[in-house]
Amino acid sequence: MKLRTVALTGAASLVLAVWVVPVAWALLTSFKTERDVLAYPPVVVFAPTLANYREVLFGSASILPNLASSLVVSGAATILTMLFAIPAAYALARLALPMKRAGGFYVLATQMLPPVGLIIPYYLILQKLGGLDSYAGLTTIYLTFSLPFAIWLMVSYFEDVPLEMEEAALLDRAGRLRALWYVILPQVRGGIAVTTVFVFLNAWNEFLFAVVLGGNRVRPVTVAMFNFISVEQTLWAKLAAGAMLAMAPVIVIGLLAQRHIVKGLTVGAVKGARR
Amino acid sequence: MDSASAASPRTGVGAVRLEHIVKRHGSFTALHGIDLDVRPGEFFALLGPSGSGKTTTLRILAGLEPADDGRVLMDDVDVTSREPGERDVAMVFQSYALYPHMTVAENIGFPLRMIGTPREETARAVRDAAAKVHIDHLLDRRPGQLSGGQQQRCALARAIVRKPRLFLLDEPLSNLDAKLRLETRVELRKLQRSLGVTTVYVTHDQEEAMTIADRLAVFMDGRIVQTGTPDEVFARPASVAVAGFIGSPPMNLMQGEVRNGALAIAGVPVALDRPPGAEGRVVVGVRPGAVQLAPAGVPARVELVESLGDMTIVDVSAGGHAIKLRTPIRPPVREGDGVHVAFSPNAVHLFDASTGLRR
Repeated sequence: MKLRTVALTGAASLVLAVWVVPVAWALLTSFKTERDVLAYPPVVVFAPTLANYREVLFGSASILPNLASSLVVSGAATILTMLFAIPAAYALARLALPMKRAGGFYVLATQMLPPVGLIIPYYLILQKLGGLDSYAGLTTIYLTFSLPFAIWLMVSYFEDVPLEMEEAALLDRAGRLRALWYVILPQVRGGIAVTTVFVFLNAWNEFLFAVVLGGNRVRPVTVAMFNFISVEQTLWAKLAAGAMLAMAPVIVIGLLAQRHIVKGLTVGAVKGARR
Repeated sequence: MDSASAASPRTGVGAVRLEHIVKRHGSFTALHGIDLDVRPGEFFALLGPSGSGKTTTLRILAGLEPADDGRVLMDDVDVTSREPGERDVAMVFQSYALYPHMTVAENIGFPLRMIGTPREETARAVRDAAAKVHIDHLLDRRPGQLSGGQQQRCALARAIVRKPRLFLLDEPLSNLDAKLRLETRVELRKLQRSLGVTTVYVTHDQEEAMTIADRLAVFMDGRIVQTGTPDEVFARPASVAVAGFIGSPPMNLMQGEVRNGALAIAGVPVALDRPPGAEGRVVVGVRPGAVQLAPAGVPARVELVESLGDMTIVDVSAGGHAIKLRTPIRPPVREGDGVHVAFSPNAVHLFDASTGLRR
């Protein structure tokens, strides 16, 4: 038993290290001067500087517009996704639709497809529609993967609410819509929170579609980071500072929603396996 | 319904009529043409084993499930295609279906809130309803903080807060422990009397139905096999199935034969207070209370003697039949004894051996 605990702790630490070390490294790097970054052997003790952050935020290559760009695309994608996903998931959970199983498989399949395979069709479609380098264009593309994912996740939450809840509400003369609003939605609050967080983070972290379908106008922060890598040099410290800023909302949201997210993942897993 | 009527009992409304209700689930027919008449103010029980169609019938009454055929009438108005909210009925679910994110007061007040009742009026009605079921001290709790009995009362209060024309109760006592179930049963009956609202009550517990209902309908395999007052159904069960379901312990059923105008079980003649009718094989039913140990009669062997304090139940086997007899005094017999059993001639029920129907 004790040995088992030690082994598990060791394994967990190892996994954790794989995730934490690069972030810690980047965090340290973001406070170094470009000189210290390249020093060999690496300097462990150094005079920390905020110069990188100043440069990244307010310098000539400020990523502020890119953070705004990310926020607009991710925010719009999240709001639209949830707006459609909630009623869709409720309907899927409650109605006996003939294509339910097939639909569920399709949703899962969209999560398995390599996104790179869709890049070219998406590019061509957006080009024809004039949607390249536009917020509407990129947001719409984000919806194509976030919406199925959100519906799939939300369905499990809706299925967990006993059918009698809305039957009781119907008999209490709430009607379908008010039963959903007053009785069902409050009971899936946790699920809505988790799904919103996932959808937002997926959009925020997205790179591939952003780099190909975006442009000078719509350039999310994940793409903008590449400004610090050029043919002549790589500005590691500035790149790290930018990465830290891009990561900050992710980490904050992650910490806030930690409890719900772990629960959400297991709900999705169990229900997904059964379907 | 206007909320003003919440103050006084409603009388004369709440007549319910089902006409040839058919319900199918795929190839399975859950209800084969149910006809039912419930009178205004009546406490009516739908009694039957699980899967007999009683809950489906209740759900069709509520409008939660559509009927495949037939009509639902309430106060002579056809409501078959009306939504649940348009039928002026309230229901208590077996699971109670309390809204977990609302307080007790919000739960009880929800039906009033949905029809836009003013705030103070709702608050007053909520307090009244809660007081009627003795949970007015729990109004600020959430359902998760209540005991099972309190949850049940909360569900009841939510049903009575607006005076509907019909209460539908789906096994409301089945999640309570035995003692609480008995207490709540009595209270439920009193509450229904004082409110005067027609009540349809689903239960699989025949004792519950017998004690609480004005009338009841016995369901078997998607059909109503008998309707009547508890006394009628107890005294004259319409079929072998009903006889074997009602009473605790239920009626003893034995194979018998009518030959030359006389009834015999395992070749031993059995006295009747009436002519036995047509010749042939019959099923003989006798309630445990009408079986006696006697010097002569059908030979039997004592299998078990159970003392319940104020009465004793003796299990005997006679001619391949297991027979229970109930007696207030403990008979001087022991397991393994050879005895004879006799039946009170006026308490012997005869059923047709092939159809199972009373003859």
